[in-house]
Amino acid sequence: MGWAWFHRFGSPPHLYRLAGTLTPWFAWPAAILIVGALYLGLFVAPPDYQQGDGFRIIYVHAPSAWLAVMIYAVMAIAAGVGLIWRMKVAHAVAVSCAGVGAWFTAVSLVTGMLWGKPMWGTYWVWDPRLTAQLVLLFLFLGYMGLRSGIEDLGRADRASAVLALVGVINLPIIRYSVEWWNSIHQAPSVMKMDQPSMPMEMLAPLLMMLLGFSLYFGAVLLVRVRAEILRRERSAAWIREVLS
Amino acid sequence: MSEGLHTQEVSRDTRLLPKCAAIVVRDLQLLVRRPGQMLQILGFFVVVTVLFPLGYSPELGKLRLIAPGVLWVGALLASLLALEGLFRDDAEDGTLEQWLLCGQPLAALLLAKTAVHWLLTGLPLTVLAPLLAVTLGVSIEAAPGILLALGLGTLALSLIGSIAAGLTLGLRRGGVLLSLLSLPLAVPVLIFGARATELVIQGDSPTAALYLLASLVVLAITLAPLAAAAAVRIGLE
Amino acid sequence: MTPRQRRVTLVVGILAGVSIAGALALSAFRENVMFFFDPSQVAAGEAPIDKRFRLGGMVRPGSVDRQAGSLELQFVVTDFQQDVPVRYSGVVPDLFRENQGVVAHGRLGTDGIFVADEILAKHDENYMPPEVARAIKDKHGGVMPANPDLRSVPET
Repeated sequence: MGWAWFHRFGSPPHLYRLAGTLTPWFAWPAAILIVGALYLGLFVAPPDYQQGDGFRIIYVHAPSAWLAVMIYAVMAIAAGVGLIWRMKVAHAVAVSCAGVGAWFTAVSLVTGMLWGKPMWGTYWVWDPRLTAQLVLLFLFLGYMGLRSGIEDLGRADRASAVLALVGVINLPIIRYSVEWWNSIHQAPSVMKMDQPSMPMEMLAPLLMMLLGFSLYFGAVLLVRVRAEILRRERSAAWIREVLS
Repeated sequence: MSEGLHTQEVSRDTRLLPKCAAIVVRDLQLLVRRPGQMLQILGFFVVVTVLFPLGYSPELGKLRLIAPGVLWVGALLASLLALEGLFRDDAEDGTLEQWLLCGQPLAALLLAKTAVHWLLTGLPLTVLAPLLAVTLGVSIEAAPGILLALGLGTLALSLIGSIAAGLTLGLRRGGVLLSLLSLPLAVPVLIFGARATELVIQGDSPTAALYLLASLVVLAITLAPLAAAAAVRIGLE
Repeated sequence: MTPRQRRVTLVVGILAGVSIAGALALSAFRENVMFFFDPSQVAAGEAPIDKRFRLGGMVRPGSVDRQAGSLELQFVVTDFQQDVPVRYSGVVPDLFRENQGVVAHGRLGTDGIFVADEILAKHDENYMPPEVARAIKDKHGGVMPANPDLRSVPET
């Protein structure tokens, strides 16, 4: 197997066309899965024995929280590829991730707060997951802030890539330290060392939603990457061909 | 982090250790001639800490409960303030560019630079902390533990901050950005450090939290200079 | 140093640094970070007398004794093998209930009573329909076990 596919992947016109072809393949299944999961989650799944219908917000909250972390990982990988192989389109992918990731993080925080009201009796609790998610939001904002502070595109790409990589090394440490901090100041989960558990009829819509959100992210990423490539290559000859 | 790139064409007559020693000596001399910056940072730390009794409560019993948080947030903000100037002068007068070309690994030089920076800001902050703690109702017997916790913690903060300082080299809104970039990365240091200090103040053993803090310091010494070197290279291009 | 030697030094340095950091973190785990004990450990005399620690377990049903008109409260923390009586003065969290997990901070007196200065309650994280919850409780004699046998999902 050669590296030809890898280099072709790095060519802006090729990626531009590929992304255009792939977008509907992500967008449609995402729409179907999300609508289906919403129906199953809101109408079919039974209410929880302690939280009643309030628990249903998990169907938005948990997938956005997972997605937020996943998007950070995708961003860091793309940034790393861009930094090491000096691949311009990889930087375009990394940039396109940041905004979506920040939004998913914000959604997971807001839904977490809405969930907190029935569960804890208050909108905000320094729960380890919420806290780690908040720090993740700051990481995304820092990434975007650094980019907007640098005028030169090449420097912005590489500097923000270094930051993304530093953040990805730090993320597990931050998550662990927040858990540790919380286990000291809140009730440690000694009675509950295991994972939260769920029966199939509640779990299925959650997994569907997770897949739907992931595909949605894929679709949005493709559209944004296309826009980013257009912006970066606006003076290139192939753009005129494509657009005419 | 292509360490070997600049090494071939430049003569290697300067050796690494003397070069680092030269950086240390020069920065110490600079401080003796211009102690203003260090004093400002210490002043900031004192002022922040003193604001708490005024803004919260003069009761020592209450203050003792929040003392770890006050000391750590104060030290964190003060060290961030100090980081803004970490590479500024060296970038302006071309020293950093010299370092890029001198044939020595940039990461090692930056580590030396950051270590001196800690000696001039982190260490004085650390020494000051037990005294400020006394004004928050903490017994002077907690001093050794507080010194150890803050000493390790500020060292980790300086190293983490050196990455952010490198990334924001020469940017116009550098100061604000520096804080935005460093604060999330500093969360673990803050958590372990404040916990160690809390345990010391309560009279319990802070060993576990200090181990975790030391682990962060070692990790930061290993990785932060490499990231900072990459950041400085990008900033100087 | 040649570039090759330099790269080797770099890799060795990173490996050494990361291993030392890992070793230090592991030493932290060997310490009892939480100073946390359960009733069986307290009964076995492992918990220190007159030093602050955390006591965790379930609130034994029927053991909660509130003094009318005051915040004085006594209850028993159990791990279904050993019991420890707890005395507390103050407001308890909303989720503090019989048969729910509880963590008390405080000191153990020489009389064997744990005097708490802080009470924390933990909500359990099993999601299930009400009828399933009832069935599980029936099977376990009216108590929600710490680990009901259901499919697990990854953490958010």
